[in-house]
Amino acid sequence: MKVSLNWLADYVTLNVDPVELANILTRTGLEVEEILSTATVPEGVITAKILSREKHPNSDHLSVCRVDPGNGEVLQIVCGAPNCDAGNIVPLATIGTVFRDPEGGKDFKIGKGKLRGIESFGMMCSARELGLSNDHDGLLILPPDTALGKPVSELFKGDTVYNLELTQNRPDWLSHWGVARDVYALCGGELKFPSTQLQETPATNEFDGLVQVTAQDLCPKYTARVIRGVTVKESPEWMQKRLQAIGIRPINNIVDITNYVMMELGVPLHVFDRSLLKDGRIIVRRAAGGEKITALDGKNYDLTGDMLVIADTEKPIAIAGVMGGEYSGVLETTSEVVLESAFFNKSSVRATSAKLNLSSEASHRYERGVDIGMVEKASARAAHLILELAGGTLVSPLVEVALPPVPQPRILCRYDRIRSLLGMEVSNLLMTTIFSKLGMEVEPVNEESCYVIPPTYRMDVTMEADLAEEVARIHGLDNLPDVPVRAVRCAMFSQDTFAPLAAVRDALVSTGLYECVCSSMIDEKSALLDTRFTREDLVCPVNPISLDLAVMRPSLLGGMLNVIRHNISRKNLNLALFEIGHVFCRNPQKFPEEREEVMIALTGQRHPERFSGERTELYDFYDMKGLLETFLEERGNPNYAFKAAEDSRFARGECAELILDGKSAGIFGRAAEALTRGMRLHTPLYLCVMQLDNLLTASKRPVYYQPISQFPATTRDVAFIAPAEMENETVISFIKRAKMPNLVDVQLFDIFTNDSIGAGRKSMAYSLTFRSQDRTLTDEEVNKTYEKIRSKLQHGLGVELR
Amino acid sequence: MELLEKIQSIVAEAGQALASAKTESDVEEVRAKTIGRNGSFTALGPLMGKVPPEQKREAGKAFNEAKQNLLAMIEHARESLAGAAEAGAQKLDVTLPGRKWHAGRKHPISQTFDECCAIFRRMGFLATGGPEIETVFNNFDALNAPPDHPSRSPQDTFFFADGRLMRSHTSPVQIRTMLARKPPVRIVAPGRCYRRDTPDATHGVHFHQIEGLYIDTDVSLADLKSTLMTFAAEFFGEKIRVRMRPSFFPFTEPSVECDFTCVMCGGKGCKVCKNTGWIECAGAGMVNPNVLKNVGYDPENCQGFAFGMGIERLTMIKHRIEDLRMFSDNDIRFLAQF
Repeated sequence: MKVSLNWLADYVTLNVDPVELANILTRTGLEVEEILSTATVPEGVITAKILSREKHPNSDHLSVCRVDPGNGEVLQIVCGAPNCDAGNIVPLATIGTVFRDPEGGKDFKIGKGKLRGIESFGMMCSARELGLSNDHDGLLILPPDTALGKPVSELFKGDTVYNLELTQNRPDWLSHWGVARDVYALCGGELKFPSTQLQETPATNEFDGLVQVTAQDLCPKYTARVIRGVTVKESPEWMQKRLQAIGIRPINNIVDITNYVMMELGVPLHVFDRSLLKDGRIIVRRAAGGEKITALDGKNYDLTGDMLVIADTEKPIAIAGVMGGEYSGVLETTSEVVLESAFFNKSSVRATSAKLNLSSEASHRYERGVDIGMVEKASARAAHLILELAGGTLVSPLVEVALPPVPQPRILCRYDRIRSLLGMEVSNLLMTTIFSKLGMEVEPVNEESCYVIPPTYRMDVTMEADLAEEVARIHGLDNLPDVPVRAVRCAMFSQDTFAPLAAVRDALVSTGLYECVCSSMIDEKSALLDTRFTREDLVCPVNPISLDLAVMRPSLLGGMLNVIRHNISRKNLNLALFEIGHVFCRNPQKFPEEREEVMIALTGQRHPERFSGERTELYDFYDMKGLLETFLEERGNPNYAFKAAEDSRFARGECAELILDGKSAGIFGRAAEALTRGMRLHTPLYLCVMQLDNLLTASKRPVYYQPISQFPATTRDVAFIAPAEMENETVISFIKRAKMPNLVDVQLFDIFTNDSIGAGRKSMAYSLTFRSQDRTLTDEEVNKTYEKIRSKLQHGLGVELR
Repeated sequence: MELLEKIQSIVAEAGQALASAKTESDVEEVRAKTIGRNGSFTALGPLMGKVPPEQKREAGKAFNEAKQNLLAMIEHARESLAGAAEAGAQKLDVTLPGRKWHAGRKHPISQTFDECCAIFRRMGFLATGGPEIETVFNNFDALNAPPDHPSRSPQDTFFFADGRLMRSHTSPVQIRTMLARKPPVRIVAPGRCYRRDTPDATHGVHFHQIEGLYIDTDVSLADLKSTLMTFAAEFFGEKIRVRMRPSFFPFTEPSVECDFTCVMCGGKGCKVCKNTGWIECAGAGMVNPNVLKNVGYDPENCQGFAFGMGIERLTMIKHRIEDLRMFSDNDIRFLAQF
């Protein structure tokens, strides 16, 4: 909302400068987001009269004028404006005048000059050149009775306008009077209510049936006045200026007055042309289903039975608190008007405004809450202004249909409680002084407490905590003492649920991966790239923002593929990435609604920064596997295994399942070709998906010291020909299962196929390490075990020893 | 004195021999011939006993000095030979690219989360989380949001057919925590939230938040201030100042908006802080008594503060990132910078 300081000064003493006042208001909760200054006319611009105008000899559009600046001299001025006619009184920037660029650019100084060979001693100005308006059609013509030689700045005093950012709870700030009240509470001075003086109206029963309210639940108070014989015309310049300063377009005197009073006192008002009301009467009721109205914006609205309307005896003439109807508005021919000032239920106005997708300054105020105590005053103020500016006669008394007033809350204020909430020393007296300054009634109870009754416009003050806020706000939050931070432990830190998640991230980062953070909302196609899911499994909000963001991701796959596509298209070809995030599914057989997953992706060169041969090394299956092994070992989860798997997301034969503690915990391998189609990805992509829960709950190896043998190890190698399908894991677990004495490690060191071995067969070679904790092993005993292993391999596994 | 002359001549000869030594074994030969077991200098040792007593002192000194001298000369000769040998060896082009050790990076959002959690943990807060699909009760009702509050509308929040929603803040974690535990409670809740904003440079459909909650018998607004001041100093640096302004949130009363000194201009005023010298960093306040009642706490016996901060905002300010979309593009040239 915008507030003009010139306007504000009508009601309250402004004894601090605009910047300081803005600071004070901001610090007490009324945030001044922006200070806009209407430019002041520079010094040196004076009023002057054009004595004569001649055509410039060397120009089609310039004129040469003789101008009287009021000091007895006559100045020759070259001017390009179309309206520099003799007799006009205009602003003249005399030599030496400096125009400052409002944007902070270069200053512009008026000097003696020659235009197309003719000397010119100053510049006559348009309204825009003086920063007074956007009018640049010609010179600003001043009234003919304007004295000459006077500074123009005296005629156009500058104004400062605040752009206020209001909080939801303070609709009482939605008017100049409302802001003035708080300025008064903060800065003191004098507070003066504008004039509401009205002549007495003769007693009459003519208007007894003027207003009928059939929906008092939605309209607890409705008032009307009738003014006869008004003249609809432009409103005076001062009013137009004030409205323009705060961004409201002047229309005519009657409409401008209703807007002016709304901006002044915060009560939206409406004026009906009484001659356009069927039977000249007003009925406040719920709309009937199927009723329609054309509002002042020229659009048609379908009304429903829950909406409150103002109607005549035939049809709706306004959407209550939102917008008037086109049909009953003020026209140039209007003579008799009904002035409405009312209080509507805020939820009703909000619902109507939302349903019709129609909002206005009026609905903005009613939705937040209009001061019910201001309704009569606003009516009187507007009537006062109408009579003054539009003439006519007030013919009716105030016609009011209202429910009995709801008593204001009485809030118990315990001084100690407020001090405890704020952690600030504030005396009882200071608290009650603050309440009184804010227009609240204070009823002392005893030394410890009092009752506080807020005024009708402070709908936000309903409980003790609200009073604490008022004390903090007015006394100043800067007065909060510096207290030491209390580092109290309220729970075991082992309950910290973020730390284990961060640890998984740390472990993944330590393997060399970069973390991505992708959107949880994706399009259906990307979501279904993960072939585990069907459309029925997807979790979709009923109100997505677009089709691209219509689905809660069922897995991290779609997002990761997007990241890879983005990077590849920007020639970032070597990628080692991961993401951890929430995924969503409606099918409890797949997973219950929401869980966290881990996704890893590898593609491109392993050592892109090196050259020649090294650069051709691409990430492969065993990079991904080794990464997982490193990761799991770093996390202390030793109980893992890998098992060949088949999955449509992965290339056949290049996919494995990760088993943790005997349970499937993830799957990885080379991405199926379908996933990367159209991506211009020329290197194989390896992906891994894991469930975070499985990682977090995996058994951890207790970290106990293992004695280190002081005795040397002995190794023996064994090589054999095995069928091509023979898995490494089969050999190793076969050897380990034999539990041979002092055998501490078995490692594959060679594997190959060639013609001499023959098709369907391969050569495998293992290195066996023997070591004892308590002695140096002799060759004989090692050889004995070694021979046993060889023979077991030959007979148990059926391989052909070499 | 014959002995002294002998010493001198041995040292001089050794000097010449070492100067012309070409290999390690040349040096070794000199050593053996002088101070070795059968060396000429070693042979002088027994003669020292025969020196007359008045000359003994002088002779002993000369002998010891000469021995040290020889040792040093031999050592020096060895070193220069070794140096020469190395100089002739293969020379690496040290400017060739190194074989980099792969070190990954956390996303800047995660880094900020980690840093915030670490700072608050030091102040005794426990980090905890909750689901992103939430109930209306946890996200709005329990938090005292009025029934017609705009944030409840489908314009602002994502809803599901069953009436549940994507949480619009991490505050439901506060509710879950308070429903599960009696006071004192002292938590921070880092996490992802959702609002129906059309994505642009400063908005996305999701954003990340960290919220804090501290409930005990006598927690005050002053405690909130010191907690946020400590956070600001730890996160942005010791020179950061904090100011609080009254504000409004349904779940707190009194409510405050917390501004930190603009880190760009140090408070002088610039484009980023719209010339105010301050940057809005946290919304906070004393937990509204209605919220306490809604979770079964007695507002007469407990009170406390809550605060919330935007992780994107903190990260953008700290690292001077201007476009929010950088976070979700995940371009590795971006990720590698943090």
